[in-house]
Parts: sequence; C-alpha cells; structure tokens
Amino acid sequence: MAYDISKMRNIGISAHIDSGKTTLSERILFYCNKIHAIHEVRGKDGVGAVMDGMELERERGITIQSASTQVQWKDYTINVIDTPGHVDFTIEVERSLRVLDGAILVLCSVGGVQSQSITVDRQLKRYHVPRIAFINKCDRTGANPLKVRMQLREKLGLNAYMMQLPIGLEDKIEGVVDLIAMKAVYFEGEGGTEMRIAEIPAHLVADAKKYREELLDAASMFSDELAEAYLEGAETEDMINAAIRKGTLAEQFVPVFLGSAYKNKGIQCMLDGVTKFLPDPTEVKNIALDLDKNEEQVELTCDEKSNTVALGFKLEDGKYGQLTYVRIYQGMIKKGDELYNTRARKRFKVGRLVRMHSSEMQDITEGVPGDIVALFGIECASGDTFCGGGLNYAMSSMFVPNPVIDLSITPKDKKSSDQMAKALNRFTKEDPTFHCYVDPESNQTIIQGMGELHLEVYVERMKREYNCEVETGKPQVAYREALTQRADFNYTHKKQTGGSGQYARVAGFIEPISEKDYEFVDAIKGGSIPNEFIPSCDKGFKESLKKGALIGFPIVGVRATINDGQFHPVDSSDIAFQIAAIGGFREAYLKAKPAILEPIMKVSIEGPQEFQGNIFGLINQRRGIILSSTEDEAFTRVDAEVPLSEMFGFSTILRSSTQGKAEYSMEFAKYGKVPNAVAETLIKEYEAKRRAEQK
Amino acid sequence: MVKQDLIERSPVRNFEKSLGGGVKAGEIGVIASKKGLGKTSILVQLGIDKLLQGSTVVHVSFNQQADHVMTWYEDIFNELAKKKNLDKASDVKAELVRNRVVLNFNQDSVKTTQVIKTVKALAEGGSKTGAVIIDGFDFAKAIPESMDQMKSFAKEAGINIWYSANIEAAEKGLPASLKKFEKDLDIVLFLEPKSDCIQIKVLKEHDRNDYTTDLKLDVKTLLIAEK
Repeated sequence: MAYDISKMRNIGISAHIDSGKTTLSERILFYCNKIHAIHEVRGKDGVGAVMDGMELERERGITIQSASTQVQWKDYTINVIDTPGHVDFTIEVERSLRVLDGAILVLCSVGGVQSQSITVDRQLKRYHVPRIAFINKCDRTGANPLKVRMQLREKLGLNAYMMQLPIGLEDKIEGVVDLIAMKAVYFEGEGGTEMRIAEIPAHLVADAKKYREELLDAASMFSDELAEAYLEGAETEDMINAAIRKGTLAEQFVPVFLGSAYKNKGIQCMLDGVTKFLPDPTEVKNIALDLDKNEEQVELTCDEKSNTVALGFKLEDGKYGQLTYVRIYQGMIKKGDELYNTRARKRFKVGRLVRMHSSEMQDITEGVPGDIVALFGIECASGDTFCGGGLNYAMSSMFVPNPVIDLSITPKDKKSSDQMAKALNRFTKEDPTFHCYVDPESNQTIIQGMGELHLEVYVERMKREYNCEVETGKPQVAYREALTQRADFNYTHKKQTGGSGQYARVAGFIEPISEKDYEFVDAIKGGSIPNEFIPSCDKGFKESLKKGALIGFPIVGVRATINDGQFHPVDSSDIAFQIAAIGGFREAYLKAKPAILEPIMKVSIEGPQEFQGNIFGLINQRRGIILSSTEDEAFTRVDAEVPLSEMFGFSTILRSSTQGKAEYSMEFAKYGKVPNAVAETLIKEYEAKRRAEQK
Repeated sequence: MVKQDLIERSPVRNFEKSLGGGVKAGEIGVIASKKGLGKTSILVQLGIDKLLQGSTVVHVSFNQQADHVMTWYEDIFNELAKKKNLDKASDVKAELVRNRVVLNFNQDSVKTTQVIKTVKALAEGGSKTGAVIIDGFDFAKAIPESMDQMKSFAKEAGINIWYSANIEAAEKGLPASLKKFEKDLDIVLFLEPKSDCIQIKVLKEHDRNDYTTDLKLDVKTLLIAEK
C-alpha cells in the first residue's frame, strides 16, 4: 500500500472535563465519513458515542480510556487519540501524549481556560506537543471566544491568535470568517456538511481586517519571506500558512479556531487546520535510550528502512485476547515479523495486525513508520518498547507518580474472588499508577491509586467487565513515616540455648535524608562483621522500613549506617544478622523522633465569585493553605494545598455549598508532616486496631 | 543565623526607622516610581519581613499572575537566606508560605470594595491578617472613594497596607495621580535611579514632606541595601 508520511497526522484532543471533547471526536469521525449517524455522548437513542468504548463511560458521560482511531480527511490520514479529561486519570493522558505529534486543545467558549486546561497544557508543554486551539460550544449562552483567546495568552502564556471570527454567537451562530482567505464560511444542510463560501458580512469587515492584521504581524515573525511580502501587500495564503506552521511546530504560536461541535459548526475548518499546521511524524524529534550503551540517547528516524522501534502505549482487553496499541517510531511492523520486547527481554512473533476504528477493526498486513496500529495477543505491559533488527532501545521512561490512596476490597463470593485476581492482573498491567497487594496481616487485598474516583472506576469495571462483586473498605490515605533526627543503636541478638545457636551484634546509627527513600552505608572496619553478612544487615533494615512503629506505614528517607558489630564463628548466620539489624532499627527508631507524613494535594477550585467566602471556608476547615486566588469578572479560582485525608467526599460538599456551580481538580503535590494533634489521633487509632487484632 | 536574627538585622528595621516608624497599623504607604526600578521587590521584602514576624500577609496583585508573585517571594527569600546563611531555611520557608495568600485581580472588573471583601473573607476562616500588599494598582484609573474605603478598612482591622504606583518622572511634591488621595496616604516614597544604586526619596511621611534618606536599593539584587 502506498503511503505518504507527510500526509499523516497523529493527534490528540485535550481539554477540561465537559468541554465537549468526546462530541468533537464524534464529529471528526462523522465528517471523515466513518460513521453515518451522529450520536450524542449522553444519547437519547441509547446508541452512545462511538469513541467511548466502555459502557461505564456512557453512563458517567466521561471518557475514561483513550481509544485510538484512524480517519481520512481529504488525502490525509489522521490518527485521533481521544484522551480522558478527569485529573484522576492523568496517567492515561500522559501516556497518550507520549505518542502524539500534535494536539487540539479544546476550550469551552464560556468557561474558557479552566483549571484542567492548565493541567493538560502543562502536560503538552512537558512532552513538547505543538497544538492548535479550538474554542468549542460557541452556541452556548455567554459565549465569548475573544475572551478565551485572551485567557490563552494570559493564563497559559500561549502566543494565541484568532484564525477565524464567529458569525453570530450563542444560538445565532451560523459560521466563521476565515481570516486568511478573508471569506465567510457557512455550514448548512443536515449535519452542517455543506460548506458555503461567501463574502464577509458587512458588519464584520472592520473586525476581520483588524484581526487579520494582528495575525499577519504575528505570523511574519516566523518568515522573512512573508514579512517582506506583507510590507508590499503581496502576501499569499500559502506564505501565511507556511509561516504559521513554522511557528506552531516550534511551539511559539497557537492558531485559534472556533465553532460548535454540537451544532456542527467549524469542524471542517479545524480539520484543515490540523492538516495545515500540525506536524507529520517526520517533523517530530523522538528520542530512545540505548540499553546496550548505558541508556545513551539516540534519535530515531521516521524511515521504513531503519530497524523497527515501536512503543506499546495502551492495552485493551478485547474479546479475542489482549490488544496492544502501538506507535511505530521507525521501521515497519509486518505480519510474521519477529520483535523483541526490551523490558521483558522476550522475543515474540507478530501475529494479527489491525487498525482500529474505536471498537471496530480492520486487518492489515503491515504498519508503516509514524503510524498507530494494534497488535493481537502480545504478552506485554503498557509502556513496553518493541524493537527489531537486534536493537535494544527503550523509549524514555514515562513520568509515573506514586499512588496516594489505598482501598481494601473483599470479594463477595467464591466466583468473584477468582475473577478479581484476573481483573487486578489486567488493571495493573494497563495502568502503572494502579497498584495492588495483599496485606499480610489482615489478609485483605489492597488497591492503590491516584484518587477516590480512580479507584471507584476500577471497582466498577470489575463488576461490569469481570462480573466480580467486591465490598470496599474506607479509602485510606497512604501515610508515610520518617525520622527527624539521628539516633544510634547497638543491638545483640543471641539465642544459644541448646541446638544450633544464633549470634549477631550490629551497631551504628540511622539518620534522616531527603533525596532518597533508603540508603545503606557500610562503615565496618577491621571485619567486625564479616563481608558475607553485610547484605544480611541491609536486608534487615529494608524489612524494618516496610512498617513503621507509629502507625504501621512504610518509613521513608532513612540512611542506615553500620560501623561496628560482632560475630560468632559457629552461631552467626544470615538470619541472625537480619534479626540483629531489625532489632537495632527498632531500638533506634523511637529515639530518632519519627513523624508521620501525609500526601498533600494541590487543589484548584473554580466557581462564581459570590461563593468565594464559602470556598475559603471549605479549605480552612480542611487544614488547607490558600496559596492564591484569582478573580476575573464573575469567576474566582482558588489554589490551595490540602491534605488528601481531608479531601474525601469533597465533591459532594463543594457542590452543596456552591449550588453545584463550583468545580475542582486536584493532583498530588508532596508529602508533608502531619500536625501533632492529628498524629496523636492516628497513633491511638493504630494502637486500638492492633489491640483489637491481638484479642 | 536563626530566624530571630534575620528579623532583627533586616534592612527593613533601618527602613522603618528612617521613615518615622514606617507604616503602622491602620496606615497606608505607597512606593512610586517608573517601571523596573524595584517597587515589587521592596513590597516583597516588606512582605517577607512581616511573614517572618509571624503575621499573615495578603499580597494583592493587579498586574501579575499569582505564580509570578510566588516566584518573587521564593527568589527574594532564597537570596536573603543565602546571604545570611539562615538555619533550616526550608522549614522557615514552609512556615512563611503557610501565612501568605496571593490574590490576583483584574482592575477593570474588580473594585476596591471587592478586594476588601475578599481580604475579610480570608480572615473569617483563618488567622487575622497583619498586612496587605497591593501591587500594580493603577491610581490614575481609581475612583476617588477607593482610598477612603481602603483607609477605613485598614483602621478598622488594624492592618498596614503598602501600595505600589507607576509614575513617570518625579515632579515637585506628590505626582498628580496620587494627589487626590493625599489625605489617606501616610507615606509616599519615590525611587530614583542613580549611577550605582537606586535612591529612595520621601515625598511624604506623616507630617514631613520632600526629604532624601540614605535608603538605597542594590542595583543588582534590588534588595534594600544594608548600612
């Protein structure tokens, strides 16, 4: 099959929750003639949007997993990756961003730049993804695209310029003025498929001239050719487009499109914008790490003749087994090829190769460089790199935050307990921020994640996809314990009454460090502990860190140094030294004045100005610190740091105290010390729990 | 050096001494100059000084994003901590951040009454506000009542307030944009660039007018110079 890389686009759609992202994806599919009828996300016809594969998403009206789908727009091939918007799922967003070459930043014409737009924009910046902006929902009351454009500049610091002006707003939106061609574009007919090009309405001519001038001034910065031509009044559309493209690719310019996905206005123009201004796969620099050369960086070339390098960025459990979405960075993937999974260090054969259109698929025989395809039945985890031709590369590791919340789950019956293991196995593979383990004391299964909603969704998925009913405990914050000062220990473990004895003495000190979770220093001189037993001490300390004496949570930020000891030629053993190290640690731990740390979240709350006092109050009640508050016309945005333990059920409380008009987002910020009063309560609770267990 | 020394030996002590005790509770001060001479820097130094003393400080900015303001505090605090070799600097910093709130407004849509309302709302839930710092307020655009309202709020709540004002070259006496608010302003300073430093001149200080002090800003760091 002939293909042209310059006509290929891999794009993502990023936005604040409820900006109409899924609706927009739907419309893109529609205009690209992939689906024949348009369904709403919360469809009355019960069919639901095609992009949201999972039933659960339909119910909640949010998109949880990103599905990749390929469409044809004119002679361009576009892979659209629908990304989830809720902040609890940011790992999904970040994973998708990794494989994108460009993005559409969708904004609501009324809400403008909202807290999450800021989060996703930061993520786009982190992965250097060039973007165009689309101001959606111009049919809503209070729509003001020009205000949103200013917010893009002020709040996100983007060099944003209007490519279009709206013709009519709110319920009167009819079309847009194209500021490059200086023509009016109307969207007519059923589904807005007929585009009618006309002269600009008289009342908009002056504005159009003004904004075109602004646009050209800005675009001229990127092209001398355009700057000169513009001075002489001889600029051409091609020149302008080329200059804007250059600026956009360099992430120094953001073209702003507008319209209404719901009312079918402006989508076609935006798609043209995608093809004109966003990069093709060869224009994006991708770096891999060569594992054979100590993770040296290598630049990949998007060329079919190179050896294959591909990244598995998403797993899905289909009817026929595991489906792995793969982005090919260089080389080809052909049916029957042998590839090497560099993380698992396993070779595997490419069996079935497909191209995805949401939940329908099409079999193909080869994938070309730059493309996104899906492989069947490959045993792997998400984020694995696949190489061909003897390469041993890893795509740079993705930023994975640690989970901050624990939830215990218990299967309701025998059948569920078998299914639960299967489900958990799959989820942990799919989502690196989702962990699970069995607590050895209570024998309960604990799942860990990035927030309440994150875990709730997995519990729901267990029920729906695996028919596995579980009872959940109370969500538990992932506390940590840490030392605040240095303390010495000198501990002898002795058991020499009959039979083979045990003997070991270990001396040294523990102290707090901030850079690492744990460090072991061997400062033994003169062999007072033989070399063979040094690792035993290390092991003993590691064991001690798993459970702190205060509230039974892991201890972090410890440097353990051993500087003296004693051994017995017969009775010393590996286990004796481990026990001595554990004893030594226990002896020193309380002397080191341990403290409890808790996860602190960065919380942004947005709402109408009249509720500002209530919002301040809510934060203060929750041991929060108000960092800043920004007011713009009728809207207030408050940024604060609040301990996660105080955030349970916050969405309900926020809704009820602001008449449902405020919303919030949060992400993990840091671990902070728990105030004494709270620490005492936690310690008491832990002791009571232990006593109850002992009875 | 420990925190207490940092407070006692701060150049702000000399700054206050030279200005008849500085801005006291219920009073309003203004730092006026051209752009880029260090108004924000002085405001932030005054803010940090208050924070070190344990007061709550509300920093209101009309022209800068909250993030930028926080970066200002961060940079100036780090500079001070480094210069004085402060013990446990990160603990002290964490404590300061806890007592500071940054507010960001758009002057076109938010009036002084709204600013006062917000500061009051903050005080209701948390600790009492000690000082309010207002940066980037455009006096030329301000309505005449605004300063009266601010003044009576300052008196009522017993807080001190510092403003910055953008003005062009110094005239004799108060610049026109500040003149109409004269009765409510207790101290008005003017920054004048010299070849090796930025000189702080006094346009008004309680009952005294137009005199020069030995207060200076270091041109490189924009910190208030030590004697």
